[in-house]
Amino acid sequence: MGVFQFRIGRKNPTPGELAKERLKVLLVHDRLKLNPAQLEIIRQEILEVVSRRLAIDEEQVQVSLTNADGAEMLYANMPIRREKVKFEWDPPSGNYHAYVLEPDSQDDEEQK
Amino acid sequence: MDSRVITITSGKGGVGKTTTTANLGTALAMQGKKVAVVDADIGLRNLDAILGLENRIVYDLVDVVEGQCRLRQALIKDKRLPELYLLPAAQTRDKNAVDSIQMEQLCQQLRQEFDFVVIDSPAGIEQGFRNAIVGADEIVIVANPEMASVRDADRIIGLVEAAGKSEPRLILNRLRAEMVKRGDMLDVADVLEVLGIDLLGIIPEDEAIIIATNKGEPAVHDKRSKAGHAFFNTAQRLLGEEIPLNEVEESPSLLERLRRLVGFGPAPTEKRIRSQSS
Repeated sequence: MGVFQFRIGRKNPTPGELAKERLKVLLVHDRLKLNPAQLEIIRQEILEVVSRRLAIDEEQVQVSLTNADGAEMLYANMPIRREKVKFEWDPPSGNYHAYVLEPDSQDDEEQK
Repeated sequence: MDSRVITITSGKGGVGKTTTTANLGTALAMQGKKVAVVDADIGLRNLDAILGLENRIVYDLVDVVEGQCRLRQALIKDKRLPELYLLPAAQTRDKNAVDSIQMEQLCQQLRQEFDFVVIDSPAGIEQGFRNAIVGADEIVIVANPEMASVRDADRIIGLVEAAGKSEPRLILNRLRAEMVKRGDMLDVADVLEVLGIDLLGIIPEDEAIIIATNKGEPAVHDKRSKAGHAFFNTAQRLLGEEIPLNEVEESPSLLERLRRLVGFGPAPTEKRIRSQSS
């Protein structure tokens, strides 16, 4: 689901459809009293949390607000970096603590 | 008899609040109701001119509130309808000349005399707007199908809610069916979906409004005009009549979508499902 969804089979949205989609986004910002700076903070914080478990392509992350079926929605598109996924050939060692991932764990350091 | 105080507001200026007030007030009076239209746009009075009563003003709303005259002295009788009265705004004062308590008292006074009190709110969200809604039982929001107007309407909906009033209803004014058909204008269903409030009326864009304003006779006197007819139907709905929302007949797909919104009519076709999910 993208933020901008338009009628199937139509290349470009009509000005009317464009107005509707723009309004939806605008009104969610107005209603929640969220400015772009605050949305950026939310983006950073989501990124921080998700990055503990997954390698997220930071530059591709998109966080946006819109209205779908009468409810305000927060969309976060967070592409996962392929090349960063490490393939473990070795079975887990006897160290059970390795299963508990922590933000500052060694695992994390290795990935970076 | 239970009288009703209805405030016409919009947030944005120039969308047709005053025209709507004049036409709804006139239409209600044509239905035999005793109606007062109140110009709450202090400092920028216009309702008098739209009703063609600008030459008869002696006292105004601020004079009444300040006790310079009695309410009945300030009320101006309409040229054509014996049951329609105007309470004009002051032209030489500003919006802060009156406070909310005074406006609420004024509404109470008007209730004693009239079946309907229709208040024309000033644009904006400041004291003038607050004064206009404080004594109202019902709020009607006028919006045009364009970005700025719908955005401001949404803001007003929030403020009306915050003021503890019942949910406002919408009059979508100046709709251009041929533009909607081409996909160049927001249509009724779009605006309703975005704002999430009930629709009271759709008024098509119509030159008859400018002509009527020039003459000082609200368009609703001429029910052959598209806008006049639409205003008349809107007033009927205010009175609880069930008039189908078919003011803009040039666009059948619009009608279908409206029927769907209202909850009756043919089952949705594939095309409509698609546009619904857009």
